[in-house]
Amino acid sequence: MTTRRVKGIGELPRDIPPSRDLWPAIAEAIQADLAMKAVPGTGRRVGWWPAVGLAASVALVAVGVFIGKNFKPDEAPPRLVNTLTPASDAGMVKASLRQIEYEKQRDQLWNEVQAKLATMSPAEREKVGKSLATLKQSIQEIKDALGHDPANALLQELFVSTSQEEMRVLTTVRDSGRQEL
Amino acid sequence: MKPDTVVNFDVALIERARAGDAKAFERLYREHVGRVHGLCLRMTRNPDTAADCVQDAFIKAWKALPRFEARASFSTWLHRIAVNTVLERRRGPSKAEVPVEDPGEYEEPTMVLDTPVEEEELEAAIESLPQGARDALVLCGLYGYEHQEAASMLGIAVGTCKAQLHRARGLLKERLERGVR
Repeated sequence: MTTRRVKGIGELPRDIPPSRDLWPAIAEAIQADLAMKAVPGTGRRVGWWPAVGLAASVALVAVGVFIGKNFKPDEAPPRLVNTLTPASDAGMVKASLRQIEYEKQRDQLWNEVQAKLATMSPAEREKVGKSLATLKQSIQEIKDALGHDPANALLQELFVSTSQEEMRVLTTVRDSGRQEL
Repeated sequence: MKPDTVVNFDVALIERARAGDAKAFERLYREHVGRVHGLCLRMTRNPDTAADCVQDAFIKAWKALPRFEARASFSTWLHRIAVNTVLERRRGPSKAEVPVEDPGEYEEPTMVLDTPVEEEELEAAIESLPQGARDALVLCGLYGYEHQEAASMLGIAVGTCKAQLHRARGLLKERLERGVR
């Protein structure tokens, strides 16, 4: 503070900048919020979700309808369980194995989807490709946020649900030609 | 005295931020953070708590942006969120005694001293005031809010706000005369 002399409280400065930049923490929270909004059912839907819905008119079954009607129990995509907070060492090993298995299946699904995209019209490919890229980016943003705050239960839950959603969408795209539209 | 007026260039930034543009929101943050921090610091008297309140307030503001009415002053809206955040942190109403008597007529909130004092001395005197009196003085005397608005932000009756300000002025004068430090 300065030693300036004042004659009233009206002369005191209203602006006092914080001693450190508070924006990075705020930006992180905003990114998490944006990522959450990108996940269907967790808020305002932006980006990829409407695009996937639009693609339904041509080749892709709308994801919302698909999830509700088209999955039979034995056809369910591989499930990701919350492997981020295992309770014990044994739990940690099991969780790691599940995670490896999940990632293997997801990578395979991505490859199949890439092949499927190649068979789509350029317009469809662009729409679906953009949707998938946005979904992938959302997951990466959640992962980054988790890197800063690994114990955050909300982020963990968001990560699991978004990853499950990713599997559903990928399965939808892969199987789109097999569906009777 | 009007606390602030709507700054036109804020409107475009608010619109962009509402659409999910975090960069636009960062510009709003940079523009308003000093004043919001000054308010929180004077209400909490603790730099760390003030910084936490500022972060929380901006995160809440981001989430509440869709509900912000463009005709209102963004900075008043932001201050209201900041005051709420500070009050929430205090966990419940102030335990400080709240005078019930209403001094009646409207008092000019700006306080002019007979003899100029050092800025630091005046800040210390404000800091030493009881919570309720300090809140009223900071909002009405320093940030220029009218009793009605300050009372609404603080969740108290207008009469109580006036009484608190009256009390604050008396205590401030007394403490400055005998030297706060």
